[in-house]
Amino acid sequence: MSSRRTQRSLEAIAVLDRVSYVYPRSREPALSNISLQIGKGEFLGLIGPTGAGKTTFCLLLNGIVPQFYGGRFFGRVTVAGLDTLEHPISRLAHHVGLVFEDPETQITAVSVENEVAFALENLRVPREEMVVRISWALEAVGLRGTEKRHPHTLSGGQKQRLAIAAALALQPELLVLDEPTAQLDPEGSQAIFAIVRELNHALGLTVVMASHAAEELAEYADRLALLRGGELVQIGVPDEVYGDVERLRQNGVRAPQVAETFCLARSKGVPVLRIPVRIEDGLALLRNLPPRRPPAGGRAGEAHGVREIRLSEGGQLEGGTSPAVRISHAPGSAAEGVPAISVRDLHHVYPDGTHALKGISLDIHGGEYVLVVGQNGAGKSTLVKHFLALLRPSQGQVLVGDTDTRELVVSDLAHRIGYVAQNPDHQIFSATVEQEVGFALRNLGAGEGTVRAAVDESLAAMGLTSVRGQHPLALPRGDRARVVIAAILAMGPETIIFDEPTTGQDYLGARAILGISRTLHQQGKTIVVITHALHLMPGYAERVIVMREGAVILDAPIRQAYNDLDLLASTHLLPPQVVLLAQALGGKHPEWPLLTPEEVAARIAEGGGRRCGSESNARRSAGRCRNGSAER
Amino acid sequence: MTQVPLGEEREVKRLGGATLDGASIALVVALAAVVAVLSFIPFSVMLGSGGSIEMSEGIYGLIGWILGPIAGAVASGVGRFVGVLVAPHTAGVPFVSVWGAAIGSFAAGSMVLAGQRRLWWIPLTVLFVTAYLLYAGRAIVQNGVGLWPAIGATFLDWSGVLLFALPTRRLFVHWLKSPNLGKVAMGLFLGTWMISGLTHVNSGAITYFMYNWAEEVWIALIPVIPVENLFRCLIGMVIGTGVIVGLRAIGITKPDHAVY
Repeated sequence: MSSRRTQRSLEAIAVLDRVSYVYPRSREPALSNISLQIGKGEFLGLIGPTGAGKTTFCLLLNGIVPQFYGGRFFGRVTVAGLDTLEHPISRLAHHVGLVFEDPETQITAVSVENEVAFALENLRVPREEMVVRISWALEAVGLRGTEKRHPHTLSGGQKQRLAIAAALALQPELLVLDEPTAQLDPEGSQAIFAIVRELNHALGLTVVMASHAAEELAEYADRLALLRGGELVQIGVPDEVYGDVERLRQNGVRAPQVAETFCLARSKGVPVLRIPVRIEDGLALLRNLPPRRPPAGGRAGEAHGVREIRLSEGGQLEGGTSPAVRISHAPGSAAEGVPAISVRDLHHVYPDGTHALKGISLDIHGGEYVLVVGQNGAGKSTLVKHFLALLRPSQGQVLVGDTDTRELVVSDLAHRIGYVAQNPDHQIFSATVEQEVGFALRNLGAGEGTVRAAVDESLAAMGLTSVRGQHPLALPRGDRARVVIAAILAMGPETIIFDEPTTGQDYLGARAILGISRTLHQQGKTIVVITHALHLMPGYAERVIVMREGAVILDAPIRQAYNDLDLLASTHLLPPQVVLLAQALGGKHPEWPLLTPEEVAARIAEGGGRRCGSESNARRSAGRCRNGSAER
Repeated sequence: MTQVPLGEEREVKRLGGATLDGASIALVVALAAVVAVLSFIPFSVMLGSGGSIEMSEGIYGLIGWILGPIAGAVASGVGRFVGVLVAPHTAGVPFVSVWGAAIGSFAAGSMVLAGQRRLWWIPLTVLFVTAYLLYAGRAIVQNGVGLWPAIGATFLDWSGVLLFALPTRRLFVHWLKSPNLGKVAMGLFLGTWMISGLTHVNSGAITYFMYNWAEEVWIALIPVIPVENLFRCLIGMVIGTGVIVGLRAIGITKPDHAVY
């Protein structure tokens, strides 16, 4: 905290003066009357829902907007004293480095050092200087020693670091990153934030980063600019911007969970003067809140704020004044009868010798909502592919119902298990939404009447009836995901697998897709979700399977799993901030399975301030959030 | 616009960067690579000499409509040159194949509706008519090929020239510019027929000069050439529709002389 700057430099590296921009063939502006200055050495975070204009803002800073796209441009943008409309992009590239969301789309060379050299070659940097800069840039991002490696052998986080190195090699004064961690796992994401922070602090590099990672931006950014509908809604320090939870909510943006929690606590009468936006501040505030008077007739222990809270069979909290959350169970779901999916001592070895799954055994019963978590390479996708018969076990058995998947082909399972990929665009290929939804049924020989009925029902279920004649790729991303889900629903599967459904989505988009999963679950479907976004899943998932290096290391109810901080840390997964707050409130006790901001806020409101228990545990985990991964 | 911009409107122009006749070099290179790759993917029934045509022959028109005449000719020519090097079995006479690709894209790119270049069709038509006369005329006058076999076997050539010389050329452009994908597809199909005919007449004029095949060959080619050309049209329509839809969707700045 002491290393954070609270005042930006008086000298501006970039100035936007009443900037508006309209893309070609578009009626509405992507940016509208934006005026702001970015100080030298500042870390400016850009936040806002999808479509707010964050990417357009990033592209403004090096002239890609509008020189590459055309369109109509109003106002003025100057970067390092250069007007971005009067200087070519190649000139601006000396001053502005740009890193995009998907590392795969940015890397073109066949070796790490060639990738870093590419821009330097294009700008005719002398060879001797190129060698020096390549070495320096790779050192700065922790990729020294990988010079000769092919980029495709790097992990996602390493690829993104390579993209940053390629931008750094130009020695820009301003580094612009457009959602650089959206496609990365938590470990990779932490590494990127750590590197960017280091570049900002150690080198004084000005950073502009568009991101939905609220907890990290609260930690690192000097200022935040909130965009919505192309307009600058608010600009200020993180405490101001993230502390105004209600305004963020109105603008479709998620605040850090610690801020959400204390905002709720305040609404319940807890005297919170200033909403904390960082976990350390939240933990400190917990220590300093005055204890609340226990209600008359309260049970023993309540004077110290310790309250017994239990989960009923129906998943409702008991013991609180009112349950803060109900866990929805699909009617008739129970761990009895033939499981929907059974895995028995499953091993899978890929042709290259990679032992991807090591003796996994588990059952998924009909009507369950299961979360599968773990770092990239843990084996999550490999496991799920066995459910779909896309992979065959090297050893062991996978049963769908009571049928061994070895006896089935993929098309046999199409009616039983649906799969929604991480990028819905990879599953869309028809010219209209209607054709897309009916494609599989037609392929399987269903009659036209059957197809039409199933398509109509699916479209209605996903709210896509009005766009049935449109090209799927012309729809917004969230609707494209709905198209894929509708196509799957048309097949009538009992089980639906969502692979990283919230990646690349803003808060509202993520909630919308998870809302669909909950609706399907309440209709009796079995839901399996693979995700890194642990903070979004309480209220949806009931059970968590944690994987590491091809093995299941924990299979437990979500409340238990989320509170096992040491186990999550061993897989480089970060528990949601609210779990850390809950830990500080009452320790790791099975009867304290607080999981959501609502629950923790209610607990604070009931029990008040000073806590016992594993606050040190919580602070240790919070420290992991700050210090980044060990990958460097 | 719901919000009135407060800032002064600025002139937007692309600064710096390499362009060729208003088309980004990057785009020229990318499309040349596409032509090169498609040069060794065969796509037709084998009716003629035992080989099939390569897919690149179906997109020379598309390249010209995207890049304009000069950039299009360069992209197709360079791409076909690379294709001839890596897949020589696909080129009867290599330099003729490269020339045909370039002139086809040049003709396609010249199909503009406005500006000075809208008159380029006139000298091009003269060139194509001359090529046809050298091709069919040589066969009939010098080599004694019958009139009807010559006309029948050159159906693709004279139909292509006619479609180019007549207002059908402008009709195809209107279809290519249409937001109606059906019209775009039709413009691509018939436009590819036309451009393939122009490519063929230019190539044929040179090739026939070299080989002087007999009347029996002319007769055999009467059904073969149109059927092969239908495959070129299919290639142009299928690939072209997707490409044009994609280019419109991503909003990339059009090359200055793009026809689509």
